[in-house]
Amino acid sequence: MKQNTQEKTVTVALAGSPNVGKSTVFNLLTGLSQHVGNWPGKTVEQKTGVVRRGNFTMNFVDLPGTYSLTANSAEEQIARDYLVKENPDVVVAILNAASLERNLYLVAELIELSPRLIIALNMIDVAQQQGIEIDTKALSASLNTPVIPIIASKNRGLDELLATIERECAQPVCPGKLHHIEYGTETKTIIDHVDGLLDDSITNPYPRHWTAMKLLEGDTQINKLVMGRVPSERFATLDSCLKANESAAVTIATLRYEWVRKMMGVAQTKRQLSRVSLTENLDRIATHPLWGLFTLLAILFIIFALVYSMGIPAQKFLDSQLVQRGREFVNNSLDVPFWFRSLLANGILSGMGTVLTFIPILVFFFAAWAFVEDVGYMARVAFVTDRFMHMLGLHGKSVMPLCLGFGCNVPAVLGTRIIDSPRSRLLTIIITPLVPCSGRMAVITFIAASFFGNQAIFVSLGLVIFSLIMLIVTGFFMNQFVIKGENTALLMELPLYHIPNPKIVGLVTWQNTMAFIKRAGTIILIVSLIVWALSIAPYGDINTSFLSQIGKFLEPVGRLMGLNWQMMIALLSSFIAKENTIASLGTLVSGQGVGLTQQLKLLLTPAGALAFLVLQVLFIPCIATVTAIYHETMSWRWPALTVAYQLVLSFSIAILIFQVARLF
Amino acid sequence: MDSERTQEYLEAIFKEQSKGSPASTSLLAKNLGVSAPAISDMLKHLELRGLVEHKPNEAIYLTDVGLSKALEIVRRHRLWERFLTDVLGMSWDTVHDEACKLEHIASAEVTDRLAHILGDADTCPHGQPIPDKDGNIKPEKAIPLTDFMASQQVCIMAVDVEDAKILGEIKKLGLRPKVVVKILNKKPDGSLELDAGKKKLRLSRTLAAVLLAEPVTSHLQCEVQQIPLSKLRAGHSGVLQSYAGEREQLGRCLSLGFTPGSVVEMLENYNGCPVLVKVHDTKIALGRELAEKMTVSGETE
Repeated sequence: MKQNTQEKTVTVALAGSPNVGKSTVFNLLTGLSQHVGNWPGKTVEQKTGVVRRGNFTMNFVDLPGTYSLTANSAEEQIARDYLVKENPDVVVAILNAASLERNLYLVAELIELSPRLIIALNMIDVAQQQGIEIDTKALSASLNTPVIPIIASKNRGLDELLATIERECAQPVCPGKLHHIEYGTETKTIIDHVDGLLDDSITNPYPRHWTAMKLLEGDTQINKLVMGRVPSERFATLDSCLKANESAAVTIATLRYEWVRKMMGVAQTKRQLSRVSLTENLDRIATHPLWGLFTLLAILFIIFALVYSMGIPAQKFLDSQLVQRGREFVNNSLDVPFWFRSLLANGILSGMGTVLTFIPILVFFFAAWAFVEDVGYMARVAFVTDRFMHMLGLHGKSVMPLCLGFGCNVPAVLGTRIIDSPRSRLLTIIITPLVPCSGRMAVITFIAASFFGNQAIFVSLGLVIFSLIMLIVTGFFMNQFVIKGENTALLMELPLYHIPNPKIVGLVTWQNTMAFIKRAGTIILIVSLIVWALSIAPYGDINTSFLSQIGKFLEPVGRLMGLNWQMMIALLSSFIAKENTIASLGTLVSGQGVGLTQQLKLLLTPAGALAFLVLQVLFIPCIATVTAIYHETMSWRWPALTVAYQLVLSFSIAILIFQVARLF
Repeated sequence: MDSERTQEYLEAIFKEQSKGSPASTSLLAKNLGVSAPAISDMLKHLELRGLVEHKPNEAIYLTDVGLSKALEIVRRHRLWERFLTDVLGMSWDTVHDEACKLEHIASAEVTDRLAHILGDADTCPHGQPIPDKDGNIKPEKAIPLTDFMASQQVCIMAVDVEDAKILGEIKKLGLRPKVVVKILNKKPDGSLELDAGKKKLRLSRTLAAVLLAEPVTSHLQCEVQQIPLSKLRAGHSGVLQSYAGEREQLGRCLSLGFTPGSVVEMLENYNGCPVLVKVHDTKIALGRELAEKMTVSGETE
């Protein structure tokens, strides 16, 4: 970045708990200038963005949402490591005015790091509706730091916030400015004692006194770091001191809440409202064990109805108007060598092109989930499904990504990031590919319609249910035998409901869609090309190609399921993208003057068709999902396990079904 | 059989004496609503009968005989109060005056049978100890609420007042024996701000002085029930006491506001489901297994 002589670049970190509207503030401040990536070495999203104002270029960094700065999760570790190591010029703490008490706890922790702190008090409108009035001036005076009231959802107060950041940046840093929390003589003696056992070289880059406190708070990451560095003669003393003061964690937290109470007493007045808030009314139904489930089913039904009534026609339209027309155009009108024509038509258009036609479906899904998330309903989904997920060794939070899987498994795998226990997350990732995605649904719908006529809808529905049963069985099996370990209990805030901000829903949909297109343009394109190459090499005819040789090699297995080599190839090609099955069948059996539906009837018996359908829903995840699993687990072990498991599962069940079905 | 008046006197002297300071003529005059000369006359009479020791202008003491008679009356009074609340279903703030009449008419047998059907209750509805048949009485350890400091968490043990109006006010505030409250603030005028679980209360000095309480830390004596959070019924509040789960989860619980002394309000608690609670103005879903590991004290009824 170029800098003028008088222009200054500053870093501004946004800190805050989940559900305070932090991403809304970030999105509104930085708009489309933001860059989404990962925190180094972590699968936690890192968002940065640039805002220019006056003489300042402000680099905004959106820290992960955290309740504290003790490393209870990857998010908390990232947030506090960033604050300590990168030392941002300004830290903006975004607080939810409607639950100030809990939010001030994070401020209590931030103060210990003595940054240049600005408090942005968000959702003051929501707070007012609940009878809460906050005296920002008094709060500002007792904290000795600026407090700016904002309403991010209505775009209010953000300019004032930027102006304050600018003003603060222009002033020199004064470290002693913030009023620190008094921990009382007893606790202070203990902290000082631990502090005395440390020295700066041991705790680097963390401040020594702060490290002492984190050790007492039972922070595992700090504990590991310090215990690895502390000289052996002091190790035993430190270790026994920490063991003797295990209760200090509770005391420190309690004292912080005492401090918070004091601040609350200064700044907040609350009227008892006689009317019950909207959230309470909605939650009476939404979190009820029975009505809550009905609500969830109704919402799912509405989303699916929308996707199927609007997304799928749009997909078909794109497919016929762009992919098929494109192929026709390439095949008939382009004057290029045969191989190049085939590359365009069969490689790129049929492969990647078909995948891209699924964008409308995905946009609907992404938008629907972004909406549901922004309303605040997602946490309720986790709450009502928790008891069922327990049987699989998971908790309710896993349901959210699994729901996303109905659209496409890839965002579902990425979506598991919201699960805080690594074990639950891994388990969720492993079972995600068993959620029938829209690609598979397209294939199933097509083949079922060809064979089962009026009953096709029931066959399709049955397959979805069957797939979900397999998901439960798999989860149970993996939980019991493969990924063992203790399950961590559900512990989650239920945010207040609020009216979603269309800008945010739009932005999230846009980001997810772009990520999908990016993936389609890279990995899916490459694999499409490889399959295409295999399908024409070495002589330019599919029947003698390497691909058909592979297919014929697999035919003996296929015969057990009543499938010939073309069907096996069609199945294999679904590894690239599930919907490729149709495209491949089209290529493999085309040119004989009859439609694909008629062709299929010649190739398959109804028993074989049923086996093929089952095979199709349970078969190994597509390459995009496999790579996503690799990215999210950062190991080849888990994608390999998933592929191997689903290969065995799908083949054995398909064989069983065919062998039984042919008896009738 | 002693006269009703004698009994009233012995009872009043006993009550003053059990508060730690001996009774005086003026205190008795105030409590019994009689003039000082009348008190002196009566005291002379009691002294003659060997029930009290009293020198003019000095403190009044019960003799051993006087004490055992006083204990009998107190026992009857408090048992009748229990009977009125527990059996007849009267409200605890209204039973004192009725019991004052009933205490004089009961024979030893009636009293013993009364104690028996009340399950040998050991406190009256106001939380004060009931002497047993042999005249043994549990010493009162509770001290007035006004003697505690801000931010202390205390368990109300007894309400030490007979005035029906004051009792009514206390009842209206939802305060009664075995309720746990936290003192948030002490005002210069002696009034207190309390956190009583579901709501915050303002308590005048007069009211605070008659509420006897013990700090919650000496919990074994406090009969407030300690239950796992998972057993707290929806709509009820409890004060978080301890967490017995893994240390890894402790940090998360603490940062979400589950600190000892925090008031936890149960919003939803259906069997087999995670629970929904409110802590520090935030709604939190809590896995049942985690809720089982947290202990709260509070009303269970």
